[in-house]
Amino acid sequence: MKANRILIRALCLAAVLCLMAGAALAGDSLPYDSYNYDYWNNILYTPAPYVPDGTVAGTGLTWEGASLGAFRTPQDLCVSPDGDLYIADTGNNRIVVLSGDMKTVKQVITGFEADGKAETFSSPYGVAVSQNRQLYIADSQNHRIVVLELDGSFVKYVQNPQSEVLDDNYVFTPLKVSVDYADRVYSVAQNMFQGIMVFSADGEFTGFFGTISVKISLWEKFWRKLATKEERSKQQLFIPTEFTGIDVDDEGFVYASNKDTDGVQAVRRLNPKGQDVIRKGPKENLGGDRIIAMAGNYSGPSQIVDVVYRGHGIYSLLDSRRGRVFTYDHEGNLLYIFGGIGTQEGTFRTPTAIEQIGTNLLVLDAQQANVTVFSQTEYGRLINDAVSLRFDGDETQAVPMWQEVLRLDENNELANAGIGKAYLSAGDNEKAMLYLRRGMNRAYYSVAFKRWRNETLRDNISWVLTLVLVLVALGLVYAKVIKPRRVRARGVKGGGAA
Amino acid sequence: MRKLFSKGKWQHLFYTVSHPSDGYYWIRHQDKGSLGIAILLVLIYAVSFSMNRIYASFVVNDIEPRSVNAVAELAGVVVLYFILCVGNWSVTCLMEGEGRFKDILITVGYALLPMIITTNLGTLISQVVAENEEAFYTILMGVGTAYTVIMLIIGIMQIHNFSMGKTLVTLFLTLLAVLIIIFLALLVINFITQVYTFFRSLYTELVFRF
Repeated sequence: MKANRILIRALCLAAVLCLMAGAALAGDSLPYDSYNYDYWNNILYTPAPYVPDGTVAGTGLTWEGASLGAFRTPQDLCVSPDGDLYIADTGNNRIVVLSGDMKTVKQVITGFEADGKAETFSSPYGVAVSQNRQLYIADSQNHRIVVLELDGSFVKYVQNPQSEVLDDNYVFTPLKVSVDYADRVYSVAQNMFQGIMVFSADGEFTGFFGTISVKISLWEKFWRKLATKEERSKQQLFIPTEFTGIDVDDEGFVYASNKDTDGVQAVRRLNPKGQDVIRKGPKENLGGDRIIAMAGNYSGPSQIVDVVYRGHGIYSLLDSRRGRVFTYDHEGNLLYIFGGIGTQEGTFRTPTAIEQIGTNLLVLDAQQANVTVFSQTEYGRLINDAVSLRFDGDETQAVPMWQEVLRLDENNELANAGIGKAYLSAGDNEKAMLYLRRGMNRAYYSVAFKRWRNETLRDNISWVLTLVLVLVALGLVYAKVIKPRRVRARGVKGGGAA
Repeated sequence: MRKLFSKGKWQHLFYTVSHPSDGYYWIRHQDKGSLGIAILLVLIYAVSFSMNRIYASFVVNDIEPRSVNAVAELAGVVVLYFILCVGNWSVTCLMEGEGRFKDILITVGYALLPMIITTNLGTLISQVVAENEEAFYTILMGVGTAYTVIMLIIGIMQIHNFSMGKTLVTLFLTLLAVLIIIFLALLVINFITQVYTFFRSLYTELVFRF
């Protein structure tokens, strides 16, 4: 009887402890996993860098006294330099402008007046605001890009591109649009495999940009050689992959995401000549997930649908296949991964676009017709700030942040490498070696190692050389003095015996 | 035991490494080789291989420490050694090779000595190389492997009394034989497992019924 009571008490205690543990982990009860890949491509689970902080749907907003009404398959969103949010509400043929806090509707643009004629949109797919405060709308089914002032007054069309490289019956169907500081317009167009279309500030088509060359493996070449002409005509065409999203950074470099069936490179950073200058990191991989299931639900490489440049060399990619957000720094290191497919807050069904507003990330979901707001956690903030400081060349200031990151996630390789570099510049080579090794940074480890090697050599060379000298001297003494004597003695003895 | 590890046998090991052609000839014709030493060398090589994987310094070592399993690697090296020898034996038997199975075992075992030396030396040297100096390490390892391959070719040539061309053909066929052996082994293991599970389910069926 007594034993029973003790057992019950123990069970109760255990239950309470479990509940407490559950409460302590409440912050971690997110509908998705946050993780990262280590040097060996193992998955390491990390604290959440971003947590969902509410969603914004059209039904919850009011405009001119009435409900705004649900969004219908919204495809793009963008943040203006003034901090307003522009949503391309594609299915409703309108552009919705929200204030920065996403609580009030500032404006709903359903049409405009051009040359005295009232015009409307037809499936406005992409939206962008230039630094000169002009609104660019990829009006896809009207086959034009509409440029408006922020108050809604018409400026110009960008349409009907003329060039020798285009087919005579080519129809321009812009999907995504972006503008750089010089008002050059970059557009991803439907069924256009030759690259991003670039238009000058006056709306002239100037050419293609960042064309991805087709890669044919030796094996495929071999099979094509074997195939007959008829068979070849039935085979799949080798066409370059399409771009999916574009963003322009402050220096005018274009970040463009693309479909990648190999899962190797899903984003490019294009310089003004259209060459890819992105840095790929130690594993040469910018393709999102590195471990992927080969079959079944959610299998295959990540399908990156949008990219957002977030300043200080940091950019995020949005994966529509598994609903994840991948964030990289300017060196191509993966910083953190979060998000997932689902119906809970913080997960998506068909994510289509990603943007940053302040320190928050916004993800637009076409199917759920809402915008999910993610706010950064302590962990995310520390990494963002430390990486930004490193980008600005201020690595010593980043050290306390990296130490905090290590406290939250002791496997973080970037943090270890960052601290290792600090020890290196402080002259503590042994500690630097330890941390750089944990951070899997061979280049800096080697620098620390060389210094440590020289120091050790300098400190020990005197007694090592002395020892060698003494040994040599002893050897000489043995060879010149002791050995001859012995031989002589033996010789005498031998002689005596004979 | 004395016969397997006598001083003469050890001396002949080093003679074989420095004069492979001569050394292997006498192994075949005057029983100068020792099976004991050969198997010992294989075991030492297996250990050196694992040690190199885990102790070679960070700069030259791109192997995940968690993936190193000394026991599995030891077993792997030994099993591979035997399969290779069996494969070579079965091929050379059909191609009128003069070598006995014992000679093949000794040839392959002795040929590992250069690799044992360079692997361990490499592990040591790697402790003092930094980036841009890995060439020393890589060249050393490459030289060891090349020496072993050369010894293997000369050894097979000598013990079977083959020409060079025939030796290379034999080695290629040996590789095929190894693949076939591995395939058959997997097949047999699979069948045995199925038979085992059959009797096991029979047993559980009976146990639950009565």
